[in-house]
Amino acid sequence: MTTLDLPRRWRVPAWGLCLLVAIVAELAYFTLTTRQFAGHGTGMLALSEQFAPTGILAMGLAMVILTGNIDLSCGASASLAAVIAGTVLEKGGSPVEAILLAIAVSTVFGLCNGVIVAYVGIDSLLVTLATQFIITSIATSVAGASPPFGFPGSFTLIGQGAINGVPIALEIFLVIALVVIVTVGYTNVGRSMTLIGYNLRAAEYTGIPIRRTLTAVFTLCGAASGVAGVLLAAYYNSAQPDIGTDLLLPAITAVILGGMDIFGGRGRIGEVVLAVILLGYMSQGMLIEGDSSLAITMITGLVLIGALVIKFAFERNLRQRLAARMQRLRTLSGGAHS
Amino acid sequence: MTTARNVQTASPARPELAAGSRWSWLLRRREILVSAAIVVVVAASTAAHPYFWSSSNIAFIFADSVVIAFLALGESFVMLGRGIDLSVGAIMGLSAIVVGFRIQNDGMTLLPAVALGAVVGLVLGLGNAVLVGVVRLPPIIATLGTLSVYSGLEFVVTNGNQVDTIPSSMTNLGSDTVLPGIPVILLLTLPFVLVSALVLRHTRFGRSIYAVGDDAEAAYRAGIGVQRVLFSTYLICGVLSGLGGVAFLIYTSGASSTTGLGDNLTAIAAAIIGGTALTGGVGGAFGALVGSVFLTVTLTAMSFAHVADVWQPAGVGVLVLLAVVYDSRSRRRGGRVWRGPKRQRQRGAS
Repeated sequence: MTTLDLPRRWRVPAWGLCLLVAIVAELAYFTLTTRQFAGHGTGMLALSEQFAPTGILAMGLAMVILTGNIDLSCGASASLAAVIAGTVLEKGGSPVEAILLAIAVSTVFGLCNGVIVAYVGIDSLLVTLATQFIITSIATSVAGASPPFGFPGSFTLIGQGAINGVPIALEIFLVIALVVIVTVGYTNVGRSMTLIGYNLRAAEYTGIPIRRTLTAVFTLCGAASGVAGVLLAAYYNSAQPDIGTDLLLPAITAVILGGMDIFGGRGRIGEVVLAVILLGYMSQGMLIEGDSSLAITMITGLVLIGALVIKFAFERNLRQRLAARMQRLRTLSGGAHS
Repeated sequence: MTTARNVQTASPARPELAAGSRWSWLLRRREILVSAAIVVVVAASTAAHPYFWSSSNIAFIFADSVVIAFLALGESFVMLGRGIDLSVGAIMGLSAIVVGFRIQNDGMTLLPAVALGAVVGLVLGLGNAVLVGVVRLPPIIATLGTLSVYSGLEFVVTNGNQVDTIPSSMTNLGSDTVLPGIPVILLLTLPFVLVSALVLRHTRFGRSIYAVGDDAEAAYRAGIGVQRVLFSTYLICGVLSGLGGVAFLIYTSGASSTTGLGDNLTAIAAAIIGGTALTGGVGGAFGALVGSVFLTVTLTAMSFAHVADVWQPAGVGVLVLLAVVYDSRSRRRGGRVWRGPKRQRQRGAS
């Protein structure tokens, strides 16, 4: 096999650096203004278990969005997984059974989405719009009139517990994030996803198994929703049938704020992870300061719009202007150096 | 307009329809197809439950579908231009709250209330219009952002209160009927649908929406101000959603901070069922009304058949899937943004 050994072109992740600076500034601000935020030794870390499910959902969504698709049903899938885990536990099943069954069911729904999108060829926005309604109904129906609550401690541990002060939920999120980063950035499947999103026709001519890759991506997103749902049920110690539905918009927001192009092909998973942390701590910090959750939704929307306006303006104008200036500098300095 | 393609051309993927038998045009018009489906559902339900064909039930169905019809109508304008507006429900809710408080506290009458609803919708639609038409954010992202902002605003505006006392002179519009089965509120809605249909079908502006939705590049080359057209579609969508808020007040006689949060996707579903494609350039105003009525008829029929209420969303989902599977045009991606003419783009890149 002949491989062209090109030097790996490494760009400074400018957007990621912006996000990182924002996170540091945000944490500093909340630490200085709100005493409880850093309190209890690991206060900052403990807060992360509240946004870990959103982050896991965002990881699944990021892959789907990278291929130029979208999954509106993942929030509903998370709800369904939570309800199923709760119901199994209520019926006397062991936590392992509950977790496995919940994740399996949501994975199957992800597979259904993938098959319809890839093999029937309907736009994913429409497919998942429809399945989102259907899955919501199933979740509500399974939950019944009195949704399950009060789970054994061995189950709630994964949502509330901590190992050496690090919340288990955060660890699960970080492991999943790592797996997704490696999958997208360093494997053939990941390259296929990116190419499919970047240029579907080119991907077709390249001979990439488009349908299989798309199916896999939606299935993975379903599995991620399942994990998120289980964590939600464990964290809240109850399984309302709308428990995960509210996570859809924050998850999409995190993916987009993380610099992922909504039409696919561009974006870095690492930056999405940073965006999840930024948004998560922002909402937790504001909750502690006493803002209502809907006011936080509003601020999140403003942050999203503001960040994207800046980012788009940057990409459209500044880059061109910078390029022109560099060009001028190069012609000016060209004679002096050589 | 010579640039706007005839929107009722058969899709090439269904040659049996394009073959042009005598009645094939009926199958190509989604409004007629869905109307036929409404008749079938109504007939079947009436056969099973005679009460279904009572004037009060028919009036209920019409009144129930009016709010979604307004939202779907606004959504149609946006979707025809190949955009998407995820914030219609939030605009509707915010308008219902603002207008509702004025009615409740200051005794506002119907006409000023409608005007205020339209203005609230216009202002909120302006936000979307600027983000999509001027800043050129992808519509799905821009309206996702404004959805968060507007639903947060709903909470801020209500400040923990809710609208619950709407004078019966207004709420009667939702329950009184002019003819058996035809509520007043439906008659108040029809002019908006008719005007929208006329604008879309017979004005230069309406045709340019189709042209932009069908192929923005071609529309640009034909001399249409693409960004200006997109800008106005979001404004119109905002106004219609704002009016939907007033209709909501009349119909439900109340509003709270969560009003309309679940209606964003239902409105899109109704527009899709009515034959408006997410890919732009296909559909119309009557489709929005017919789609909303079909949605309500089916959901009502489901509850008559003793299907539990929790399965109603699933009904919506199945209808969307059916509408989409029937329509091969949905196999293109919608919600894209036009990023300026190709020539300029290439020059910028090189």
